[in-house]
Amino acid sequence: MTFPRLRTNALFARGLIVLLMIVTLLPFLSMLSAALAPSGSYPSGLEWPSDPAWGNFAKAWQVANMTELMTSSVLIVLGTVPAAVLFATMAGFGLAKLTTKRSAWFYLVFVIGLTLPFEAVITPLYFEVRELGLLNTRGAIILPLIGLYMPFSVFWMRAHFLSIPQDLSEASQLDGARRWQEFWMVQVPLARPAIMSLSILLFLWTWNQFLLPVVLVQEPTRRTMAGALGAFQGQWGTDIPLLCAGSLIILAPTVILFLIFQRQFVAALLQGAVKG
Amino acid sequence: MTHLENSTAGAPVAPAPRPAASRRAKAQRRAMILFIAPAFLIYAAFVFVPLGMSVYYSLLRWDGIGEIATSARFYGLRNYIEVLTDDDLLQIIGNAFQLALWFTIPPVCLGLAVASAIRSQMAGRFGTATRTILFLPQVIPLVAAGIAWSWMYDSYGVVNQFLRWVGLESWTRGWLGDFTYALPAVGIIGAWVLLGLCTMLLVTGIARIDGSLYEAAKLDGARPRHEFRFVTLPGLKNEIGICITVTIIQALSSFDIVYIATAGGPGIETTVPGLEIYRLAFAHRQVGLASALAIVLMILVLACVLPIQWALRDRNK
Amino acid sequence: MTTTKLIAGLALGASALATAAAAQDCGSDPVTLNAYFETGFPLPTELATEFTNQYPNVTFDIREDQFANLMENTPRLLSQDGAPDLVRLPSISDLVTNGLLMNLDGYYEDFGWDSFPEGNLVQLRIDESGRPRGVGSLYAMGLNYSTTGVFWNKDLGAEIGLTEAPTTLAELDAAMAAAKEAGIQPIMQWNKETAGLAFPLQNLMGVYGDPEPINAWIFQQEGATIDTPENLEAAEHLEDWIEAGYFPSDANAVDYFTMMSRFTGGEGLFMFNGDWESANLQNSMGSSVGFFLMPPMEEGGRHATMSSPLTFGIGANAANPDCAAFFLDWVATNETAREINVAVGGSNPGGPADMAIPPQEEGSLISQTLAAGQVIGADNGAMDFIANATGAIFAAGWTPELQKMVGGQQDPAGLLADVQEEYEDQLAR
Repeated sequence: MTFPRLRTNALFARGLIVLLMIVTLLPFLSMLSAALAPSGSYPSGLEWPSDPAWGNFAKAWQVANMTELMTSSVLIVLGTVPAAVLFATMAGFGLAKLTTKRSAWFYLVFVIGLTLPFEAVITPLYFEVRELGLLNTRGAIILPLIGLYMPFSVFWMRAHFLSIPQDLSEASQLDGARRWQEFWMVQVPLARPAIMSLSILLFLWTWNQFLLPVVLVQEPTRRTMAGALGAFQGQWGTDIPLLCAGSLIILAPTVILFLIFQRQFVAALLQGAVKG
Repeated sequence: MTHLENSTAGAPVAPAPRPAASRRAKAQRRAMILFIAPAFLIYAAFVFVPLGMSVYYSLLRWDGIGEIATSARFYGLRNYIEVLTDDDLLQIIGNAFQLALWFTIPPVCLGLAVASAIRSQMAGRFGTATRTILFLPQVIPLVAAGIAWSWMYDSYGVVNQFLRWVGLESWTRGWLGDFTYALPAVGIIGAWVLLGLCTMLLVTGIARIDGSLYEAAKLDGARPRHEFRFVTLPGLKNEIGICITVTIIQALSSFDIVYIATAGGPGIETTVPGLEIYRLAFAHRQVGLASALAIVLMILVLACVLPIQWALRDRNK
Repeated sequence: MTTTKLIAGLALGASALATAAAAQDCGSDPVTLNAYFETGFPLPTELATEFTNQYPNVTFDIREDQFANLMENTPRLLSQDGAPDLVRLPSISDLVTNGLLMNLDGYYEDFGWDSFPEGNLVQLRIDESGRPRGVGSLYAMGLNYSTTGVFWNKDLGAEIGLTEAPTTLAELDAAMAAAKEAGIQPIMQWNKETAGLAFPLQNLMGVYGDPEPINAWIFQQEGATIDTPENLEAAEHLEDWIEAGYFPSDANAVDYFTMMSRFTGGEGLFMFNGDWESANLQNSMGSSVGFFLMPPMEEGGRHATMSSPLTFGIGANAANPDCAAFFLDWVATNETAREINVAVGGSNPGGPADMAIPPQEEGSLISQTLAAGQVIGADNGAMDFIANATGAIFAAGWTPELQKMVGGQQDPAGLLADVQEEYEDQLAR
């Protein structure tokens, strides 16, 4: 064990990383290769088809109603993320500034929800949403998601406000209206980085949410992208090239956004894991 | 709980030495509660109420179709007894724990290997490329991961193609339909998804370890494995704890991947509690049993995660 | 009005029936039928298209799903607002117990469905309490009435000298052994997601025993059991096939559509399947595909096989039940619909007993499967599917247990005992 460590180590690291990158990319490549086989055929492994059937993407776009699916996902994200971020920012601020014992209790109530698997509440959620008359609407996904996001989001924003030096917010000197103003004019702008990261995470989780749409919304055009992909698999799973083409289209938006905002996404996901 | 009672009961009669300040503090408290209210209300409506209903349903025998008042009957703890004694349900819970091993060990080990080999932040273009590619599985829906890997594992898919290519023809099989390999195969899908996150967490963590610790170790004549054992591992304890927490939660509450890749088969070899709750509640119309399983699942997640969190907190003090 | 129509239908037969049916139709206002169909089978959608051609005010909002999802989703969908008007039903008994399906007795009278062979409809009747099946009110209709059996690849058969369809179980066994010997996959069968091995198993049950006790079990008659000595022999025979390697080694990873593409691709001498694939197989394999009924133990013995309606029901909460019922009647009685039905669906279109099945080309696969249906009728050997006995018996009983058997984790006695236990457990709920 006396070989020159640094170089072998660096080589080993690089080799290992390249291997991991290949393994990470392989499923995407295999999907692409299958997506280019003639629609309705049974493709075979990884091979570049002699006559790539790019038309599969157009066909998948059309049969899956992709335009409507994207619109639906965007609407769900717009309905969920801003509201969740706003509520969480307010609550995080409130909890950070409340120094009584009661706040500890409030805080505990939120933290309990941090590890809650969605499956633990999906059954009663179904009946609750049915009572509210929201089954099969986007509201059936939006409202529960906002609630389900609260533990993490509140936890996240409270951590941010706790890290802000106390003297910046002598809010206790202010009365109601100005306290609200101070929150918007001073606190929120200061919290922008935390709010951005939280928004990114909530966007991803909403866009990729599967269980809620599967149970609560039957109509694929009112689901999230992931839920719609489930329906797409149900309907076109028998045609592997088409299924792969559709899946690639459906995962493209988040991947493109990720590639553009790579640094922000990575930072948000890493911090999200640390705090979660 | 007791503080709460004290503070509410004690507040009105508490002596107020400085009326103005106390009034301000009170106003402040009231205002902050208003700030918390929206989050709390929607959280209560869509998490606490359903959770309470889950507990309630778990004590019933109910098909979920008729009205509760007329078609459900009180069933006591028998649903819980069934969850904890029925062979199939026990196997399903066991599957989740096996899956947790698969979701946890490969990403953490590979991440540790990468981290201790480069032992610095990944910089430059190579670093960016690595980060970007390894994080890709984190941003796609798990459903898409399930679809991609089902095709990888197909009899004509890439995995078997590779085995044939290296001459291991006899190892080829329909992986997701094989009693021995289906669960590990599903586990590898999860490992694939979590690999990037764990690796980057550990790489970030190792870069923060004080370099002088390694210098000192070297001066003491430590071999690489000693270095790993006495410097790297302790220094990364926090990050490893985080990785394990994330991967265990993902494994125990998995649904999407299994739903798409195997639908729980062959047999019930890859059925996980999340999938079984969904089936019991909506397809087999056993809302009570589904709810009992849901509560048990929630408790199991807590029972796995809390000790890890406590261990981390103790050491951080 | 109802009575006049009924009398007209009874007295004048098919021609009058068409008029009677027209009396209750989809009106002229725009109607959108909410439909939930099974993925991979084009017949319902093609019929819907033709229906819209003839009745332009009616459009269909069709959602499709794979069979396993269909089984999972149907109870939930039928119990909520906006329940499907038309839904493909894997099994009806639990749905009736829960009051989720519309009772079709009224339509039966209005449309004069008593002119349809009662044998076709009996599987769709069910006691109001949910059991037994086979008696009581009508809760669903068949889009057509299928026959199952064995498709075989004649080219592969020729390689092992098999030129005529086997006529006894022993001959079938011998052909499989010969194929195995010659390196040909003897059977192509799916077993992923749902257990396709239920087909050969039930066929073997029909060879070793009579269909009546099996139907009694499927119809949930008092005291019926699947765990009988005859069925045990059948299950043992199936296990022999598994152990001899007659099924693909990755059967548990082969879903229905993978099986179809492999069989049409020339992999597999035999495939246990139904005549709903006749048209499809004819198109893709031409003259190299044949069909035979599961051969009995002795030559000339009684044939028995699964033969059941392609079941469609109307949601109890559906918005347009009249129009949906009219569609079901139209499928059975309209000439164009019947032609589409046979050409695309490959099965007997049912309908009034005196309406002829649209003629098929002599010797075509469809004509072979239709003829097989006659044999089964003559032998009185029709069984419903053992998978349809209860709403969840396929998903929670047959599928996992047969997958275990393929994986070497279950033996024949355990298979039947476990399924019977699951069955009783479900009936006790």
